[in-house]
Amino acid sequence: MSDSLDALERRIADLRAEVRRAVKARENSLARSLRGDLRRAEQAWDAAIASEVPAPPHEPQTSLVPIREQVHQALSMLGVPTSAKLIVAVNDAFFSRELRGSQLTSLRRDEERSFRGDPYARPYYLCAALTDRLSPARGLFADSTWPPESRVLGPLSPRVDFLISAMRVAEHLTRLAEPPSGAVRLLSRMAQNIPGAVEGFAPADPATAIRAARAELEVHLAVDSAQRAEVAARAMRQLPDAERLFGATAMNTLRGAC
Amino acid sequence: MNTLGERTFLNRLDELRGPMPSRPHDARAIAALAANPGCVRRAVMDAAGVDKDLTARHVGFPAPFGQSQFAITRGNVFEALVKENGCAELLRLLRELLGLEVAQVGYQDVESVGSHLRHSHTRALIDRAAREDDGTAVFYDHPLLSLEIAGHTSYLEPDVVAFQIGRRFHIVEIKSFSMIDGQAEPEKVAAAARQASVYVMALRTLMADLGHDPERVSHNVVLVCPENFANRPTAALVDVRKHLSVLNRQLARMTGVERLLEDLPDGLTFDLAPGEDGVPTRSAQELAQALLQVPARYAPDCLSTCDMCMFCRHEARACGSTDLLGRQVRDQLGGVSGMDEALDLAEGTREPAEGQEEIARLLRLAHRLREESLR
Repeated sequence: MSDSLDALERRIADLRAEVRRAVKARENSLARSLRGDLRRAEQAWDAAIASEVPAPPHEPQTSLVPIREQVHQALSMLGVPTSAKLIVAVNDAFFSRELRGSQLTSLRRDEERSFRGDPYARPYYLCAALTDRLSPARGLFADSTWPPESRVLGPLSPRVDFLISAMRVAEHLTRLAEPPSGAVRLLSRMAQNIPGAVEGFAPADPATAIRAARAELEVHLAVDSAQRAEVAARAMRQLPDAERLFGATAMNTLRGAC
Repeated sequence: MNTLGERTFLNRLDELRGPMPSRPHDARAIAALAANPGCVRRAVMDAAGVDKDLTARHVGFPAPFGQSQFAITRGNVFEALVKENGCAELLRLLRELLGLEVAQVGYQDVESVGSHLRHSHTRALIDRAAREDDGTAVFYDHPLLSLEIAGHTSYLEPDVVAFQIGRRFHIVEIKSFSMIDGQAEPEKVAAAARQASVYVMALRTLMADLGHDPERVSHNVVLVCPENFANRPTAALVDVRKHLSVLNRQLARMTGVERLLEDLPDGLTFDLAPGEDGVPTRSAQELAQALLQVPARYAPDCLSTCDMCMFCRHEARACGSTDLLGRQVRDQLGGVSGMDEALDLAEGTREPAEGQEEIARLLRLAHRLREESLR
């Protein structure tokens, strides 16, 4: 390949010199035909170069889906308040999209600003989950369209939500004909921390994981629901619209403290 | 101690430190305090809240340690892993270690009230847990405890406090050094145990303050480490009773700092005299002289626990002190404080002073044995 390129480059250089001589000697028709040859040689060179360069590696499609939409999809799949870390993991495992934690750090703040600027303008907002102090729980995302009980936390809620997330991941896996290996790994990691969900370090079987998670879930569900209902009721009573979604800061929560 | 005396004491400490704000103690510093009880220099500097790291650097003997950014990041990443998803990993470990029942999974983030209220909220939550009211949790995350030392309050932050229904509280310490085949490096475990004992003491003090039985805080601390060479967490119970009793003794002795201060020359200060831009303007020579006025008790251990170690080691080397040989040897040599002196006694070129007869005899014996074995 490069031999012909060298030859072409030599020919191009020679032709250029001849064109120059012809123009200097005012031999216009000669100059014109030489120019034609030169042009053809340069085009041949271009073609040779293009075929030499290896095809660019297949780049992962940078998603055109906006970040908030990606987060919303992951959140909708799990249905419970979720940490940024888990959202990124789910996105990576199931939707093979490259979402980075750093892209989520200011997301809640941006959503709050958008809401306060024009309340309820958007069909959904990525909001906070409220602690029993009605403050926003650190690092968690929730969906504003969920009922209030699903957007608050009691002491048992982190565990309950983890069990439900694991179940949702497992359920989603069973629905896929060819579950991506990243997704199986994600489930296995989660199942390690659910008693009876997985054998040692073996990859998790979704059905077993679901059964085990449900078994533990039944122990906590009633108490958790009651506690969440109480927090939700308090939030509805005490907080204005924006704070119901995004939480109240310390000064406002002193009233409900201890 | 009457209030006038107390104020004078605190004033003298402020004088020693200079206009810079007092450097707060953390658990590691408090634990290290207990490790070298005989050192007046350290006792005084710590009581006054002097920034030992800055001081050491200014006199030209910077401390050789300090965690690398890499180690700090690795530690933070591991801690986040253990605590994520409502402490899912920690729950698994404690279920195995402490036999938690399935229903015991509650998680409370103490910081949910806002960081400036953490201390009072910690008190409230612990009180509620001790009284076993409703909604008590197993894990209290980001708690803030306090301990009063030499007249000022240090705020301490254990990684997690775990409360088991069964009325016992356990401190949880998450460390990133590995446990390989059930064993971790003994010095690292000991350092972690010392640090954890400070938290145990602080929590027991809180319990007593609230009118509950301090013994409900277990002397068994949960140490969480990565297992083997992977990042999977494993946990072990560590008994810190020994460290607790040492710590108790030391903290009791620390109130004797006023007596130590009395022996110091008037007007002595470790003030770095920082200028407008914060750069110290005190002459390094002068500062070194001031430091030398306060006796130290160097031991090779200091190299891993105290920022002033290089300075004190230099001093020990300059006068050929037996401190350099380590605590055990130094203690065995008794009243013989100089290495030259010890060697002279061993070689018989020096007559033992009163009280040195026994050690001189042992040294001469050792010297003779050595000579014979080298022949």
